[in-house]
Amino acid sequence: MHAASLKHVYLSLLAAMVCYLLPWSGVGLLLRPDFVLVALLFWMLRAPHLCNIGTAWALGLAVDFAGGGLAGQTALAYTVTAFLAVQYQRRLVLFSEWQQAGYVLLLLLLSQLIMLPLKLLSGGGLPDWLFFASSLSGLALWQLLAVTRVLGLAPRSSV
Amino acid sequence: MAQLDTAQQTAFFVRGPSPATRLVVFGLFAVVLMVLDARFHYLTEIRQGFSAMLHPLEVAARAPLAASRHVRDYLVLQADLVEENRRLRTRHLEQQAELQRLRLLQQENEQLRRLLGAAQASAHTTKLGEIVLTGRDVFSRRAVINLGARHGVEAGQAVIDADGVVGQITRVYPFSSEVTQVTDKELAVPVQVERTGLRAVAFGLGRDNLISLPYLPTSVDIRRGDLLHTSGIDGVYPAGLAVARVVGMERSPDSPFARITCAPVAGIDRQRQVLVVRTQVAAPSGADIEKPRPVEVQRARRQP
Repeated sequence: MHAASLKHVYLSLLAAMVCYLLPWSGVGLLLRPDFVLVALLFWMLRAPHLCNIGTAWALGLAVDFAGGGLAGQTALAYTVTAFLAVQYQRRLVLFSEWQQAGYVLLLLLLSQLIMLPLKLLSGGGLPDWLFFASSLSGLALWQLLAVTRVLGLAPRSSV
Repeated sequence: MAQLDTAQQTAFFVRGPSPATRLVVFGLFAVVLMVLDARFHYLTEIRQGFSAMLHPLEVAARAPLAASRHVRDYLVLQADLVEENRRLRTRHLEQQAELQRLRLLQQENEQLRRLLGAAQASAHTTKLGEIVLTGRDVFSRRAVINLGARHGVEAGQAVIDADGVVGQITRVYPFSSEVTQVTDKELAVPVQVERTGLRAVAFGLGRDNLISLPYLPTSVDIRRGDLLHTSGIDGVYPAGLAVARVVGMERSPDSPFARITCAPVAGIDRQRQVLVVRTQVAAPSGADIEKPRPVEVQRARRQP
């Protein structure tokens, strides 16, 4: 185990960005987890002094520019989600695995809920319930990351 | 203990500004950006610069898929190749015959036009591009192609494939550009019904990959299976390209308009190659009339 460093944080966020940029299409696009947000939450619980609300905002803006949507919508959603993660960070790290997973699912759903009206405003039809499938796949990704923590591969929480 | 300084107590945990402050500051930043982008379109240059910066990342992200595609292309069975070759050759022959007829017709058309003294209606130049992404956003029907400002692509150009109209270029980046598909809610295409010659405007429905034909009376002569093609009136799309086929026709007594839904003919999810069409419309009379108009409007406004 080793302490999280800035290099870890930025490299993993870059990797998440590349995952987001992969050419997804069809069902894959619907089921695509929000890689960047999951990576952000992962670091905000473990290293809030390296990855905070500002990081979330910048990454959200990068996602907006990359996706071609209205600039700032993802940034806003990430900022609010990051606030709720950082605010309760000290309590969250004491939670059990499944309690954390539940909270993360709520956060992922919240970020999608924030983006929903913004995307509707900037044009686009109302999606069906499958829209929220990406939160569930995001949760699966989170649990996958949690396994690395159990195995001792992930950097130590530095609180 | 009772005298414990609260400032000292919190200083133990402090890491810069409090989360609430950060939330307010960055939230405001995001809202301001959204307003700038949606209302004033100030961010176009920043967006283009950022997209150019992101380009290597995107190429890296696409590399594994492209490599697997290359490998798959390489590992084709000989029998498949022979079969495909045979099929292509017959199609080539058929098309060659059609092409000869077309040339004849073109010549004849040109002669007739010259006889009439009419200017050539329009000339098209096309550019072959490839779809690299079919949208990162589930909400909008957009695709990204690998041609950009560097290749002479401009916003507003039409994009077609072998089957028909795919859409229109709406945003141009240095190395890529964004195509809004005909099924997007924001795109309208002037069309003509092939069977009757009726002109209409087709709007994307924004969901279920469908197109609708609004504002047509219930008595309109449209049947299921009718083909819609571009009318060429707008000067964006060349005339006569297939756009959609009517799949549903409803006449409800409580609405003065018929509810017509169509399915697009072009297959953005099936094809990878597309053509970007640049139309040069010769509009001799239109251009002459258009120019002085703003001046007249200004004068008219000043007089009273």
